Amino acid sequence: MPEDTGRTAKEDSFIRKFYALAAILALVAIGWFVWSNVTAENANRPFKLGLDLAGGAHLIYEADTSDVDPEEVPELMGVLRSVIERRVNVFGVSEPVVQVERSSFAAEEARDRLVVELPGVTDVSEAVAEIGRTPLLEFRLIDDTVLAAQDQLATMEASMNEANSASGSVSIQNATLDGEPVSEEEPYIDTGLTGRYLQSAALEFAAGQGGQLSNEPIVSIVFNNEGGDLFEQITSDNVGEQLAIFLDGELISAPTINQQISGGRAIISGGFTPDEARDLAQNLNFGALPVPIELVSTQTIGASLGAELLEHGVMAGVVGITFIMTFMILWYRALGVVAVVSLSGYVVIMLALFQLIPVTLTAAGLAGFVLSLGMAVDANVLVFERIKEEWRSGKNWNEATRTGFARAWSAIRDGNITSLLSAIILFWFGTSIVKGFALVFGLGVIVSMLSAVVVTRTLALTLPDVPAESTSKWRWLYGSGIKK
Amino acid sequence: MWCIRNKTTLLLIALGMIVASAAIILRFGIPFGIDFTGGALTEVVYETAPTQEAVETVLNPLGLGAYSLRETATDEGETGFIVRTRDLSEDERVIVNEALTALGEESSVERFTSIGPVIGQELASKAVWAITGVSLIIILYVAFAFAGVSYPVGSWVYGGITIVALLHDVIIPAALMTLLGVFIGVEADVLFIMALLAVLGYSVNDTIVVFDRVRENLKANREEKTIKVVATDGLEREETEYTLTKPFGEIVGMSVEQTITRSINTSVTTILALVALYVFGGEITQTFTLILIAGVIAGTYSSICFANPLLVWYAERQAKKQP
Repeated sequence: MPEDTGRTAKEDSFIRKFYALAAILALVAIGWFVWSNVTAENANRPFKLGLDLAGGAHLIYEADTSDVDPEEVPELMGVLRSVIERRVNVFGVSEPVVQVERSSFAAEEARDRLVVELPGVTDVSEAVAEIGRTPLLEFRLIDDTVLAAQDQLATMEASMNEANSASGSVSIQNATLDGEPVSEEEPYIDTGLTGRYLQSAALEFAAGQGGQLSNEPIVSIVFNNEGGDLFEQITSDNVGEQLAIFLDGELISAPTINQQISGGRAIISGGFTPDEARDLAQNLNFGALPVPIELVSTQTIGASLGAELLEHGVMAGVVGITFIMTFMILWYRALGVVAVVSLSGYVVIMLALFQLIPVTLTAAGLAGFVLSLGMAVDANVLVFERIKEEWRSGKNWNEATRTGFARAWSAIRDGNITSLLSAIILFWFGTSIVKGFALVFGLGVIVSMLSAVVVTRTLALTLPDVPAESTSKWRWLYGSGIKK
Repeated sequence: MWCIRNKTTLLLIALGMIVASAAIILRFGIPFGIDFTGGALTEVVYETAPTQEAVETVLNPLGLGAYSLRETATDEGETGFIVRTRDLSEDERVIVNEALTALGEESSVERFTSIGPVIGQELASKAVWAITGVSLIIILYVAFAFAGVSYPVGSWVYGGITIVALLHDVIIPAALMTLLGVFIGVEADVLFIMALLAVLGYSVNDTIVVFDRVRENLKANREEKTIKVVATDGLEREETEYTLTKPFGEIVGMSVEQTITRSINTSVTTILALVALYVFGGEITQTFTLILIAGVIAGTYSSICFANPLLVWYAERQAKKQP
């Protein structure tokens, strides 16, 4: 359909050629961007390779949240995540991933999981040991009355022994205090404050105020809201007493409560050396897991196996795309060349998106991408068949192209929307590996549709505008198939 | 169009394929691997691999229950074994690793996967949900997209037939998977589900393209007649009645003819990509690729020789019922 734009045919043709050139230049620019990100050593956005291609370990832990109020679970899982993240960071692995995952409603009962990915780690023994460590952090009050009674008993024993040094030692047994037997164990009272409530601990150096030595290493701790309230309560009730900090049942420090502490912050000072203070801060940080966890799935891939997979995947992609381009040129001739440019556009845009989003590439994702190459030309094929039909029916090339696109659109739209809906559902239901595939698939659908509608259309419209009953040269170039 | 003329034969072939595939799957069962059942897989490579007997000798006393061994070879000429066992705890993993790597020089465990049974079951139920969800969405969308052409068959029929075609396209690769399991001991992993879902997407697209043409040709070859109907309560309303200027079968045949080149060419490019993936893509995705190739071929067959004949067959049966 000739558009009434007020432009002459010559101007119109010039504008179309300008658009085509702009489209090609844009694709070249995107291609250069992708290429520079692959070849440059410190590229901003290199491809992100999944564990199966880069090598590494993938661990899935299940958290036992059965004793926890369901409403608190998300928060506790968040705490668990940051604790494990800190433990994992000990390994100095680049970009470890620690994610909370909740089994979808498809499962019989909801389970809370923690996924840990350690790129480059293939011997997971150490990592599993470090992550699985379950020290318990507790805050206990020292029971003054019992301590005093114990002291008293000890003094009594000592003095009696002194008095009767000749007749052997004496020991007092079954002593009672207020009707309760005096325990011979250490007199501590649980406060209910545990590592569950700790947000973080850090090594600091005192500024020399409030009677502290200047530059004395101290450990500052921060509780979460609930813990802060509890801490405030405990400190206000027990001013002047000692609050003992236990890690795995071992007393590590027993600072004296000087005053009521609100705001959930506390400082532990106790004549530490910098090293001791740092260890304490670390112990507190790494301290307690808020909920017990269990390793339910382990996966490791050696780096060489990963590299082999990657090499195979890239090779398959290159060969696949060469096959498809050759076929398209042989079958569709002039339009085949258009399809080749359009397909190249599809490839560079997809690769650029992989780098920009970034999409974690896995063996499955690569396979999905190679598969999508075959399907990406579908919109082109649909349109080409339609254009030829229109052209043969007596329209000029430009008009045939415009009508062809318009008429093929409903089929392209319906087919792609259903594919896109499937991709969304896959993404929704999927585990991480399925999600990667779904993302590649969904992006592929959108980008292939765009490249067909924009690139193919722009280029097809710049082909010479000849009628169907033209010379045999044009009939051949605009024809298709094995025959002339 | 030949595919409409010979519709009974073509429908019987497709039906036969579905029945045969279902029989194979029911008889042998899809060989679900550890991704679904839980279990462990250890792949160990050696500079020079020990014999299978040597491996069995070290593994037998470990109390792993039934296990399977498969020899492998990498590009660099290293050889190794894949050992499949029940799922292993961390301690068991260490013991098995040590036992295996002690057998040869330059040995290393290249791949280890252990999946608890719960995770496996969950994946299986997720897969069922995903496939059901995708099918439902498709039937709804197709019914909606074809709402404008409810004569001579209701628009939901297009959606329904798309799903029947889907069943055909998914059950054939699933049967192939079963046969691969029976004859060469391949196991279905999570990639198998992805292959099936990709086939779903491909097959729908293929069927919709033809139906889209049917929709267009139906609109071009019908006459509209608006009639006034007086309802029982005295209100008048307008109803549009359509009559086709050509037989429905002819319109469908014409649509298939107009889209067949596109169907075949898209299948060819897709299969070219898949063949490249099969030959060069490495061992891990080979089964995935075979399943996809089977699905694409089945999808192309069903869009040309199953969905449309079925549509015509259904329309003619309806016409006989209501003269």
